[in-house]
Amino acid sequence: MPAEYALSNVWIGLGVVIVLFAIFYAVGYFSSRKTTSDEDFYAAGFSIGPVTNGLGMAATWASLATFLGVIALILRLQVPFVYLWIQWAISIPLLTLLYGTSLRRMKAFTPASFIRHRYGKPSTIVIICWMILIMVMYALGQMVGLGQAFELLFGVPYNVAIVVAGLATVGFITIGGMYGATYNAAFQMVVMTIAMIVPMGAIMKAMGSSGWWFPPLAYGDMVPDMIKNIPTFFDMKYDFRWYFALIPAFTLGPVALPHLAMKVFTSSSVKSARWAVVWFAIFLGLLFSGTYVVGFAGNFFTATTGRIIEKADQTILILNVFYNPTLVAAFVMGGAIAAGLSTIGGNLMAIAGLVGSDLLGIIAPDMNSAKRMKWGYAALGLGGLAAVLMAFNPPRFLVTSILWAFGLLATTATPAILLGVWWKEANKLALIISSMVCGIIFIVISPHVLPSICVGSGLVAALGMSGGMVTIPLSFAMFIILSIAFNRMPALKAYAPTLADKKVIDRIHGWGTDYDESRYNGIKWPLIISAICVAVFIWGLQPWT
Amino acid sequence: MKEKIYKKEIRITILFSVLLLLAGHSASIFVLFPGLQQGTLWGFPIQYIVPILLGWFGIAIICLAMTLVCNKFDDEMEEYVSTLSPENDNPNENPPK
Repeated sequence: MPAEYALSNVWIGLGVVIVLFAIFYAVGYFSSRKTTSDEDFYAAGFSIGPVTNGLGMAATWASLATFLGVIALILRLQVPFVYLWIQWAISIPLLTLLYGTSLRRMKAFTPASFIRHRYGKPSTIVIICWMILIMVMYALGQMVGLGQAFELLFGVPYNVAIVVAGLATVGFITIGGMYGATYNAAFQMVVMTIAMIVPMGAIMKAMGSSGWWFPPLAYGDMVPDMIKNIPTFFDMKYDFRWYFALIPAFTLGPVALPHLAMKVFTSSSVKSARWAVVWFAIFLGLLFSGTYVVGFAGNFFTATTGRIIEKADQTILILNVFYNPTLVAAFVMGGAIAAGLSTIGGNLMAIAGLVGSDLLGIIAPDMNSAKRMKWGYAALGLGGLAAVLMAFNPPRFLVTSILWAFGLLATTATPAILLGVWWKEANKLALIISSMVCGIIFIVISPHVLPSICVGSGLVAALGMSGGMVTIPLSFAMFIILSIAFNRMPALKAYAPTLADKKVIDRIHGWGTDYDESRYNGIKWPLIISAICVAVFIWGLQPWT
Repeated sequence: MKEKIYKKEIRITILFSVLLLLAGHSASIFVLFPGLQQGTLWGFPIQYIVPILLGWFGIAIICLAMTLVCNKFDDEMEEYVSTLSPENDNPNENPPK
């Protein structure tokens, strides 16, 4: 018998959502009173403490997918998708370690602010275009999910849901700027964690587990029944290359996500940013472990009750409707909506930063802080409005899984940021060529644009894992080799890093006014990295089974 | 002194990058060495629960160690920089332009 999600009392759901939005607007309003400069608007005045920032980072990273899409994929793919999800937790720690604190030191608003100082205007425009494309895909995916959630919750047509939910969301995000986005994200993280974990305790108790007191890790007594009903549940299913392919696409991609980096930049100091990452790991681990237990329970539910979850996206909601009171089921839906809103908030702030600060910084470099802040508000509001309008009839290409877009970001932006921070030889023209050529190759060899030209097949191709294993190492290798070559060609001297570019590197690493040419320089290690990248590239081109 | 600080920065960065990658991708180790896929912990197959624990507490502990080590390193760096430019109150917090 199919199990479906339907609240027995829609008014309870409406009440939960109205209360949540009232809180979001109140936070946005009070935050707007603290926003008096572009530093306040884009970076919350570089003032956020570690715990709030850790919560905000975790909320921004945990999207609507944490409640809906992931659980559906665990239901389909079982344990391998859990492994895929686990590694997301290292993205912000890696980002902070490899460049986050360095860019916080220079008071960057977005990673593109660094690109502008390090590589100049043409390279920045290339990186901004890629980042905006990916942020639009991300925000659009969340917006569509939000519309569907409202449609499901209240039974209203999708177009009505997208107008009401979309405009209400864009409203409180625009009012609050980065202060509002951060404080709201911290609150949303608390809501989504409670909504994910606490109701699962009741569900596990109803399923007969003695571990109901701590759902994230105490469901081991359900394992024998699970293995009896689904013997393959814990099988690792794929070969080593599948697991290795997670690194280029899904570890290196999120490292360059501007909305995640911007959370690091809002910290009150470099040291505070690192402490925020510790809290992030604890909070996100708790929420993600909740996601895994819901995926487990969804499989357990279908196996032991004989019911079919036809709409796998709704697993957590169906379990709550089946086992818990209406108010709890409505609160879980509220948690899912909070997850979507926190990510949309981060996405829109990133779009505002990229357009209002970085792009405008190129067009009108002498604009004062007050004007830049006003443009930031305009960019934020218009970006949100564009996402709402596109969500009516989203372009097919743009609603491709956001997981695929991570591979695109790892191909186009990650090498620029990492090599820019750690290697003085990184060349402006080499960046433009490697980013554009490899980005286009990634799009072409994916199944989403030209299905006839595709590396890999099925899920690995759709998620960008097989494509990423080709283009990401290629992008790193091409960037390094072209940089070394171009820097030695007198005709291309204009693109070589200048002394000022190189001084940026020493300064952001904390050396202050002490400059040393030999630091973060040389070609031996970059060439070794290139050789490794070429080997991975060739491995990625081998047929995928 | 500055050569020592520079090498330390590189060492710390490589060490914590590798540790984070290992904690986040520990499932790969169970695929590479299938013999490890034996036994249970708290009722779960070992290849299921260990990556989850490393992906939560493992990463948190590595981040804690990273924070302590990197913050201490920053103090050393600031101490070195302050000996070079005592007139500059906080040279590392200034934007490049």
